[in-house]
Amino acid sequence: MLIDWFTVAAQVINFLVLVYLLKRFLYGPIIKAMDKREKRIAFRLEEGQKKKEEAEREVERYLKKNRDLDNRREALLSEIKGEADARRKELVSEARNEVEVIRTNWYEAIQREKDAFLQDLRQRAGKQTCAIARRILRDLANVDLEHHIIRVFIERLRNLGKEELGALNESILKSGRRINLRSAFEIPQEMARQIAEVLQNHGADPVDLQLEISSDVICGIELNVHGRKIAWSLEDYLETLEEALAEALEGKRIESTD
Amino acid sequence: MRISPDAVVFFQWGPISLNATILFTWCVMALMVLGSWLVTRRLSTETRLSRWQNLMEVLVTGIRDEIREISGQVPGRYLPFVGTLFLFIAVSNLLSIVPGYEPPTGSLSTTAALAGCVFVAVPLYGIAENGLSYFGQYIKPSVFMLPFNIMGELSRTLALAVRLFGNVMSGTMIVAILLGLAPLIFPVVMQALGLLTGMIQAYIFAILAMVYIAAATRAHRQEGQANQQAKKGDLSDG
Repeated sequence: MLIDWFTVAAQVINFLVLVYLLKRFLYGPIIKAMDKREKRIAFRLEEGQKKKEEAEREVERYLKKNRDLDNRREALLSEIKGEADARRKELVSEARNEVEVIRTNWYEAIQREKDAFLQDLRQRAGKQTCAIARRILRDLANVDLEHHIIRVFIERLRNLGKEELGALNESILKSGRRINLRSAFEIPQEMARQIAEVLQNHGADPVDLQLEISSDVICGIELNVHGRKIAWSLEDYLETLEEALAEALEGKRIESTD
Repeated sequence: MRISPDAVVFFQWGPISLNATILFTWCVMALMVLGSWLVTRRLSTETRLSRWQNLMEVLVTGIRDEIREISGQVPGRYLPFVGTLFLFIAVSNLLSIVPGYEPPTGSLSTTAALAGCVFVAVPLYGIAENGLSYFGQYIKPSVFMLPFNIMGELSRTLALAVRLFGNVMSGTMIVAILLGLAPLIFPVVMQALGLLTGMIQAYIFAILAMVYIAAATRAHRQEGQANQQAKKGDLSDG
């Protein structure tokens, strides 16, 4: 007999015991361990995913921050640039104004200097001209220039036009016959008398001739009566000379600035 | 000539006899349990694990996958029974290369016991799954088929027992005979073949048991439902 029933029964029990033992020692722990590992891996993956998402969010945040910073920097830069431009324009304009003021002052100073120089020149030229004319006249005609001037003046008085004469008489009358005679030099009594005579001839009444020596009247004679003036002096000639000199100086200045 | 290790009796006390089959079965059991205990004593749940643990995990995972594939169900409930069938038969057969060892599966008593376990387990699983309606499948397609169905159950159980016994016993016998005829090379070759046959027989036994159980548990289910269950099983069981 190949089958021993006791052995069969024993083997059945053995097998069932083995099933229990293997379940207890092999399948259970192994499956539990695998499940745990799976869970752990899943958890780690999930955690990794979370961290990744967090990192992505962080990156996004930083990028946004960077963009904001860039924008702010751009805005600040443009603002600063605008301010700098405005400031520069302001400064340039201030500098221009200052330069303009300085130039104006300079021009004025030059003008003053020029005027002073011209004034000086005019006076010197007048004096010099007078001196030269005096010397020339003295040398040539052997007569005193001042006498000549007085004579020319007397001649001029004599040769006054009717209208001028009328106006002069009117002025003499209004002034109460007081006539002021200014000259650059002393008028001899004789000459003064001749002038008075000429005036009397014109007006018929005697006049009160007041003589005055003034350096303003350059090398000439000036007759003032109640605001009316009759004069002969080098002033006119000197003014012409002055104008000519001024023109010459102006021309030189323009040339030098060019 | 000894055909079964049952014949080797070490101790006899009335009907109780301690024969080679039982003794070697205990050895195999002790080896398996000890090995399992040693390996699962310190299990790692980290991603780094020991080689033995890895081997065990591969084994268990392989059996689970096989069960899931065949039954289309969650393998959890069937794993201890079917897995132990496979492992016990496989270890019993593989140890036959150890000199002096007699595989317990070479005893018709052992194979009959295992087949008997399957014979009992099939209706138990069926009832657990489908209730008493499980018995309905014996009278399908008609009541007249009841005797044939019962005969079928019995014959396939017998076939299970005899197939395993025949294969293992014949392997052992061939080696024994060859040792007498050409003791040098051929027994080694046949031994190697015996190992292969032993593994295949273990696989076949376990697979057939699983097929019977799956047939019993799926008896009243529609195919669609079964597929659904299989998918669910796949999902829930990882």
